[in-house]
Amino acid sequence: MAMEMRLPAARKPLSERLGRDTKKHLVVPGDTITTDTGFMRGHGTYMGEEKLIASVAGSVERVNKLICVKALKTRYIGEVGDIVVGRITEVQQKRWKVETNSRLDSVLLLSSMNLPGGELRRRSAEDELAMRGFLQEGDLISAEVQAVFSDGAVSLHTRSLKYGKLGQGVLVQVSPSLVKRQKTHFHDLPCGASVILGNNGFIWIYPTPEHKEEEAGGFTANLEPVSLADREVISRLRNCVISLVTQRMMLYDTSILYCYEASLPHQIKDILKPEIMEEIVMETRQRLLEQEG
Amino acid sequence: MKETPLSNCERRFLLRAIEEKKRLDGRQTYDYRNIRISFGTDYGCCVVELGKTRVLGQVSCELVSPKLNRATEGILFFNLELSQMAAPAFEPGRQSDLLVKLNRLLERCLRNSKCIDTESLCVVAGEKVWQIRVDLHLLNHDGNIIDAASIAAIVALCHFRRPDVSVQGDEITLYTPEERDPVPLSIHHMPICVSFAFFQQGTYLLVDPNEREERVMDGLLVIAMNKHREICTIQSSGGIMLLKDQVLRCSKIAGVKVAEITELILKALENDQKVRKEGGKFGFAESIANQRITAFKMEKAPIDTSDVEEKAEEIIAEAEPPSEVVSTPVLWTPGTAQIGEGVENSWGDLEDSEKEDDEGGGDEAIILDSIKMDTGVEVSDIGSQEQKSYKELGTRLAEKTEGDAPIILSDSEEEEMIILEPDKNPKKIRTQTTSAKQEKAPSKKPVKRRKKKRAAN
Repeated sequence: MAMEMRLPAARKPLSERLGRDTKKHLVVPGDTITTDTGFMRGHGTYMGEEKLIASVAGSVERVNKLICVKALKTRYIGEVGDIVVGRITEVQQKRWKVETNSRLDSVLLLSSMNLPGGELRRRSAEDELAMRGFLQEGDLISAEVQAVFSDGAVSLHTRSLKYGKLGQGVLVQVSPSLVKRQKTHFHDLPCGASVILGNNGFIWIYPTPEHKEEEAGGFTANLEPVSLADREVISRLRNCVISLVTQRMMLYDTSILYCYEASLPHQIKDILKPEIMEEIVMETRQRLLEQEG
Repeated sequence: MKETPLSNCERRFLLRAIEEKKRLDGRQTYDYRNIRISFGTDYGCCVVELGKTRVLGQVSCELVSPKLNRATEGILFFNLELSQMAAPAFEPGRQSDLLVKLNRLLERCLRNSKCIDTESLCVVAGEKVWQIRVDLHLLNHDGNIIDAASIAAIVALCHFRRPDVSVQGDEITLYTPEERDPVPLSIHHMPICVSFAFFQQGTYLLVDPNEREERVMDGLLVIAMNKHREICTIQSSGGIMLLKDQVLRCSKIAGVKVAEITELILKALENDQKVRKEGGKFGFAESIANQRITAFKMEKAPIDTSDVEEKAEEIIAEAEPPSEVVSTPVLWTPGTAQIGEGVENSWGDLEDSEKEDDEGGGDEAIILDSIKMDTGVEVSDIGSQEQKSYKELGTRLAEKTEGDAPIILSDSEEEEMIILEPDKNPKKIRTQTTSAKQEKAPSKKPVKRRKKKRAAN
């Protein structure tokens, strides 16, 4: 049996470790962004005393004449076309309420859901009664944002075979601002597992299904036992994601993959130790910089 | 903020654990969490902590005109508030259901049971009576609000002193606390609520559910009883079907629990009374422990070690020869080290080590003493001295131990334990990280020490 002992040590500030030259313009609520009145004010700012003042804590983004502040720690703010992973909290009359780490519960209408078998027909009263058979409270689903209501609530749809109920896997909850916006959020990693990077910060890591099921429409959860090798890959990926998050790195398929490869020499449980975490993420960062530059 | 929903895995885990009679915090089925009662400087102010659930109770009084149909009785007013700091889900507009339920239960428990003599609150019949107001605030929600609230209410009422009043003919004189000592309320008995949470349609029950257990429970049975075993209120919610003998059993358990809690309350009241009389310091500031880490602290869980000896004997008897044990620690970075290899536990292997017993026994004792002495030195006098003495010890021990067999004391099962040398001056770590690293290099000789006897497995 191995026992670990750790003495308290001062934490090094993040910027020192990164050694970055390009500093983001970070502001806290109440900070003046600029006194130039020529700019249009976007989200996260307000005009006060001839100055543009920030109302959230985050980084300043400027697009031509528009200045907005993107909050670093925020709830998920839905945008049309985002992929989200959510948990069903309520089954209501013609819809499900889904928890997606946003300010209001998201809504999945019965009419936005694919019927098993891919039929296209009007949803009848029987469909309504059979709702619980499809999705119950506590189930995890992957869906796409169809529309955003005026109060900020998000309406989801699962109108494609790649969306639907999620079966066996591991859910990692991170801040939504760390998930990079990409063309596709469903990745089959070459290391042997698949990952869904939800824009709302819910990351789902699951074993790659052997063959794509066409008919199910994503409702039957595959409950066959997962092999040990797959489980190890998934745990390692999960620990890698957590180490990337603690070091505040953006999450996308390449960064997760590089981090996985960098972590291979270590044992899975060692990845969560602060020193090893730093080491792995440093290596990942190097590789990413090389790849870009 | 809305509550984060409980995942299916967590729910299943909790239910399975309850089926196996295991609770997350190690309690038994009928165990209460630790109850702590502390009083404020004013009479009638108290904070009750049931585990992590905290309720603040405050009693106040006022002279008012009585109700028309109850001209000779005082007025009691109870109010429980769920503060927003208790749980993220408690928001000003959103707590109605739970709030109403708790308030109603509290009222039935305290008002309908007639625990307070309202006739004694009358000053002038039909004109002036005392209105006693009990305000309870939930400061932290970790399950079982109703029990904590009822304890807080009754403790606050017992602790409260109202100003003395004397009536002479038509004249009423209200004395200030300086003129005449305030008078306690007349309390007949102390009703206390005991909650039972039911799972799997009434098959399993738990007393004093905490927050997680409350989320997965099927139904709740609350019995309010006093120490004379009189039931004041009984309420079953959640719609579970309970059998007659289940309810009777619960009432018996409640009787036992209420007796214990009443004793605790009386003791706390007595202590506070004593402190006030002797002129000592009282109040919340005194009850908060200073200079102690109170966040993320785990309460000690009582473990039954009565059969440890037998188990240890069994294991020793069946032990196989020990495998190769690597004794040197692996130092990863300054400040962290790993002892052991992470392979299977070889604690049951003692045959070789028992032989070393006699040889090593005497010497080890001496070295142990000198180590103890040095620790004393280390704490008070941080300097290069300790480095030298550690080196000495290290070499001495190295001579004694040949190879990698573990050193043991008498018959205890032990493995080597290496103590890391803390940095020279722990307080200076923040500013001198680099220098500390250099210092570490020469003083790498770890001290081999004995580990105390651990409970077998």
